[in-house]
Amino acid sequence: MDELLREYLPILVFLAIAIGLGVVLLLAAAIVAVRNPDPEKVSAYECGFNAFDDARMKFDVRFYLVSILFIIFDLEVAFLFPWAVAFGEISMTAFWSMIVFLLILTAGFAYEWKKGAMEWE
Amino acid sequence: MTATDLAIVLPEVFLALFAIGSLLFAAYTAKDDLGPALTWATAAVFVGIAGWVALSGDTNRTAFNGMFIDDGFARFAKVVVLLSGAAVLVMTQEFLTRRGLMKFEYPLLIALATVGMMMMVSAGDLMALYMGLELQSLALYVVAALRRDSPRSTEAGLKYFVLGALSSGMLLYGASLVYGFAGTTQFAGIITTADEGGMSIGLLIGLVFVISGLAFKVSAAPFHMWTPDVYEGSPTAVTAFFATAPKVAAMALFARVMHDAFGNAVGDWQQIVAFLAVISMFLGAIAAIGQKDMKRLMAYSSIAHMGYALVGLAAGTEKGVSAMLLYMAIYVTMNIGTFAFILTMERDGVHATSIDGVRGLSKREPIKALALLVLLFSLAGVPPMVGFFGKFAVLTAAVDAGLGWLAVAGAVASVIGAYYYLRLVYFMYFGEETDAAIDGAMPTVQWGFLVASAALMILGIVNLFGVDGAATLAAITLVN
Amino acid sequence: METILLFAPLIGSLICGFGWRVISEQGAMVVATGLLFLSAFLSWVVFLSFDGVTEQIQIMRWIESGTLATDWAIRLDRLTAIMLIVITTVSSLVHLYSFGYMAHDDHFREGESYRPRFFAYLSFFTFAMLMLVTADNLVQMFFGWEGVGVASYLLIGFYFRKESAGAASIKAFVVNRVGDFGFALGIFALFFLVDSINMDDVFAAAPELANTTITFLWGEWNAIEVICVLLFIGAMGKSAQLLLHTWLPDAMEGPTPVSALIHAATMVTAGVFLVCRMSPLMEFAPGATTFIVYLGATTAFFAATVGLVQNDIKRVIAYSTCSQLGYMFVAAGVGVYSAAMFHLLTHAFFKAMLFLGAGSVIHGMHHEQDMRNYGGLRKKLPYTFWAMMIGTLAITGVGIPLTHIGFAGFLSKDAIIESAWGAQTVAGTYGFWMLVIAACMTSFYSWRLMFLTFYGEARGDKHTHEHAHESPTVMLIPLGVLAVGAILAGMVWFKPFFGDTESVAKFYGIPVAGAEAHDESHADDSHAADDHSDDHAADGPAEDSHADESHAETAVASDDHSDDHAEEGGHGDGHHAAFGGQPGEGALFIGPENKVLDHAHEAPKWVKVSPFIAMLLGFLLAFQMYIRRPDLPAKLAENQKPLYDFLINKWYFDEIYDFLFVRPAQAIGKFLWKRGDGNVIDGGINGLAMGVIPFFTRLAGRAQSGYLFHYVFAMIIGIVVLVTWMSLSGGAH
Repeated sequence: MDELLREYLPILVFLAIAIGLGVVLLLAAAIVAVRNPDPEKVSAYECGFNAFDDARMKFDVRFYLVSILFIIFDLEVAFLFPWAVAFGEISMTAFWSMIVFLLILTAGFAYEWKKGAMEWE
Repeated sequence: MTATDLAIVLPEVFLALFAIGSLLFAAYTAKDDLGPALTWATAAVFVGIAGWVALSGDTNRTAFNGMFIDDGFARFAKVVVLLSGAAVLVMTQEFLTRRGLMKFEYPLLIALATVGMMMMVSAGDLMALYMGLELQSLALYVVAALRRDSPRSTEAGLKYFVLGALSSGMLLYGASLVYGFAGTTQFAGIITTADEGGMSIGLLIGLVFVISGLAFKVSAAPFHMWTPDVYEGSPTAVTAFFATAPKVAAMALFARVMHDAFGNAVGDWQQIVAFLAVISMFLGAIAAIGQKDMKRLMAYSSIAHMGYALVGLAAGTEKGVSAMLLYMAIYVTMNIGTFAFILTMERDGVHATSIDGVRGLSKREPIKALALLVLLFSLAGVPPMVGFFGKFAVLTAAVDAGLGWLAVAGAVASVIGAYYYLRLVYFMYFGEETDAAIDGAMPTVQWGFLVASAALMILGIVNLFGVDGAATLAAITLVN
Repeated sequence: METILLFAPLIGSLICGFGWRVISEQGAMVVATGLLFLSAFLSWVVFLSFDGVTEQIQIMRWIESGTLATDWAIRLDRLTAIMLIVITTVSSLVHLYSFGYMAHDDHFREGESYRPRFFAYLSFFTFAMLMLVTADNLVQMFFGWEGVGVASYLLIGFYFRKESAGAASIKAFVVNRVGDFGFALGIFALFFLVDSINMDDVFAAAPELANTTITFLWGEWNAIEVICVLLFIGAMGKSAQLLLHTWLPDAMEGPTPVSALIHAATMVTAGVFLVCRMSPLMEFAPGATTFIVYLGATTAFFAATVGLVQNDIKRVIAYSTCSQLGYMFVAAGVGVYSAAMFHLLTHAFFKAMLFLGAGSVIHGMHHEQDMRNYGGLRKKLPYTFWAMMIGTLAITGVGIPLTHIGFAGFLSKDAIIESAWGAQTVAGTYGFWMLVIAACMTSFYSWRLMFLTFYGEARGDKHTHEHAHESPTVMLIPLGVLAVGAILAGMVWFKPFFGDTESVAKFYGIPVAGAEAHDESHADDSHAADDHSDDHAADGPAEDSHADESHAETAVASDDHSDDHAEEGGHGDGHHAAFGGQPGEGALFIGPENKVLDHAHEAPKWVKVSPFIAMLLGFLLAFQMYIRRPDLPAKLAENQKPLYDFLINKWYFDEIYDFLFVRPAQAIGKFLWKRGDGNVIDGGINGLAMGVIPFFTRLAGRAQSGYLFHYVFAMIIGIVVLVTWMSLSGGAH
């Protein structure tokens, strides 16, 4: 019986650490944090959100659109970096693969431009 | 090397180029006015590619170092997917135009989704699988929300997207576990590691997650929750598509992964698939009873039908796969006919899909009622309609594989399920007409699909048009 | 020819039953009757030209399943030939009679068509009965057996508006099921042990079966005894023997022609036929045959006592039938099958005639059946009176004692009584005394019937008596024909049925074993039999070397005409001869140690005279009570009330059965219906369909809340369950 219980000891230890860590972090935020607000810090963000507000508020869906479009090209760059670094050693297949990728991306870009997704209004 | 590879994926490349080209062309010219024409053109391309795939010989080829497989199984699934996609496009064009939903993106998104499906059924690698799956899913998330000004449609799209993302995550997590324990993402490599009984626990859990992700795509319980809401909220044209081609592709992918990657560990996944099958059949049958809306009803119906297809898969044999393919082909045919009817349900010019609408239909529209009756009987699996043979095939496969209890469960569930199909028949033939009765006329195209589908359900009993033979050939290439 | 005579009634039945709208009612009836007369004619041709050698005529392969291979074939031997003439003759006459009897019937509405249906049923019955007697295997026989059961059911309940008729038909059907169950078990047992149900195979296996044991119910039994008792239980049901007899009197609810055909002449004798047909088995089962004797004798006695006090004219005759069937079983039980068949034949004539005569009286008296309301009808129905008189003389057994001259019943009944004596066993002696007493009572109730009906003062409704009339000619012709049979059948066929061993053997195609039996003229025939008997000589049942050696001299009777038999057989002192042959050879098999026939012939004179004296006693008693002192019966009934009640209530069999079987069965049925079917099954199904499944439907509806987190929750739960399950079970191992 003791043997069996002893096997569960690590779980108890983990539990204690988890609770302890949680409590410590919560307390640390309250005690250690520096509070020095100035007008710039508490003013609204560019997206129009207040700095201190409820997270579950309604906001304009266009922010999403912009961010999604941004992320697509962000990722494109993420792909391009390793490709560019290894450019001297890669095969023609790899080169053309990236060209095809860019072309498809461009087609999408052309479409969204024409559809007016880039316009705020 | 590359040229050979490209030659093998040429149908997919062609379809993708068609979609991208049309997208740009339409965006810079007439925009939505091109919608109807593009729909027909896409349908024509689908049919053309289906013929191309069907007649491209019976050799089994792989491309890109085994990432892409072109075998009899894939070709069978592709033909079914393409033809059902074409049928749905043709059938829904008039509906979308009349409801003002005829955006030119619609046929192109369908085409892109179809490219994804073709990728899925040909996947020979977990990454190719994921790519196909995501291509399909992302296109479908968008078409689900085609009616942007309707809260229900956007709700459907959003729910589908969020839950789909979750399931993709699970699939991806499973795939990474499998990769971690098998050391490769290629099915041909995984199968050498995943032996019967000798699978490590990590691989097993990876398998569970992969299956969960796939189960979401085929809407098998308990990963089915999105189905009724999405079916109901999406425009009926989109629902008709959801209920047909993607289901075939997902089932084919399911079979592909199970047999190509885990074919040596049938005993391991058999229990999981059987479990999903039983829950799906019963949940589909039981929950459908409470539905008041045709589209929701068809959602539960499709859940139950996926359960039966999974019964065939659970058998883990060549016969099981063949029965599953046959079942899916029949299922798609029945659903096209049924949705052709649902598309035309309207009252005072407004699309009305309440089941009360069919009350007393037999007196007003005897031919439509009769055709629907045949389809409903077939869906319920009443002999001698073709639907019965589909059920019979999967249940026989299960019995032959020693899963007698599963076949019994399937038979019991089909009895429960018969209730809601027959209730519709009762409404049509014996129901009192209420003020919800549908009154719209039926355009020729939909009427043609309805009657043709019903006729197939009866004429097919002669020899199932040879589909069973093709399915058997396809199953042989997959299982062996 | 055999095929034609077999299928003519079926065709007639189909044409009449389904085609009468096309060819008119009258036409349909004529077709059915015509085809039956054709069948009857052919039967007589077959009977008279039959040479005694068993023939098998295959019609088609019927069942082939595993080791069970069954032909649909006609087994034509003497037994079959006898039954053919009995069935088709009586049936064709009854068809003819029915033209008159069924002409008008108050049980049916004006303009309602019922006659073609009646004729179709009659013809169908005839076909089924022919199937039964021509069967070459037990399954085919069972087919006929059930076919006549159905026909009987349909005809008893022919007056479907009459509640009692419906009840009687169901009773007949259910009681027969009990017997049929035994019969079916017997067939199963035979197939189980012999692996064949063809007569030839079964008979050939008889000696072997006698040395086999079988586990049945609670113990080990001799196989052949079990089989024979089971088969006899089937016979009991069909032939209304004691314990399973209760349906026969009630069956009189059917129209009178039906009673004459089915419940007197043919179907009820199927049991006797079965026992005779199974003689190769019965001969090896002494226990079963003893049982048959006891039961037959008791039935004869019991039915006769009940017949004494019945007032319904048809019921009297019905109990008489029951009693006479008991006689036949006694004869079959002691091993003199030929005597049983003899009585079967003669009984068919005179009993059919009695029924048809009774039908004529009933017809003339406007469907009044209570004899207490008859009386003095001699003048009004002269022809019927004389027919009934002949029938009565025949059934009571009037003849000149110690000679072979007399009415049919005299010869056949005496043959049975002598056979019972000749058995020289306890059972046989019991049978003898019972039958003699029954003979006395037979005479009493038969004369009582005559006196009450035709003599004395007219009783009952005056109006009915004034309008009493003689029946039309179509009804009288059958009576006349049957009268001829009732008078002559006994005298003409005495020799072949109950003559010396040799003539009986010739008639039935049984090889004879005995020095005197050797006949030069049959040398050619015996040659053919030689080969056959050699094959079986080694394992034959014969125990005495006498029989074994004599196989070489086996003679097969091959005379063309049975009439010739009678004359030829007369010369021989063949009682030294003995029956020989193997089981299945010839129409009957009589074991080598079975000498009852000889013993019967050697019975003392007082034995031979005893039935005649019994008959006289019965007659005098009836004369005293119903002619000279008509007030006596009532007084007697008053004085001996318990006995009278006992008899008039048929020994309380119906009441006992009602208490023992019917009520418990009804209670069980009601329990299963109300509780089992109503509560458990209906409740279960309804509960499932209207309670459990809708509950789950609501549950599923609730789960489909529309909230994304619920959906995600379901998916996560699914994953957790699957992962836990897989981790714990570790996959496939």
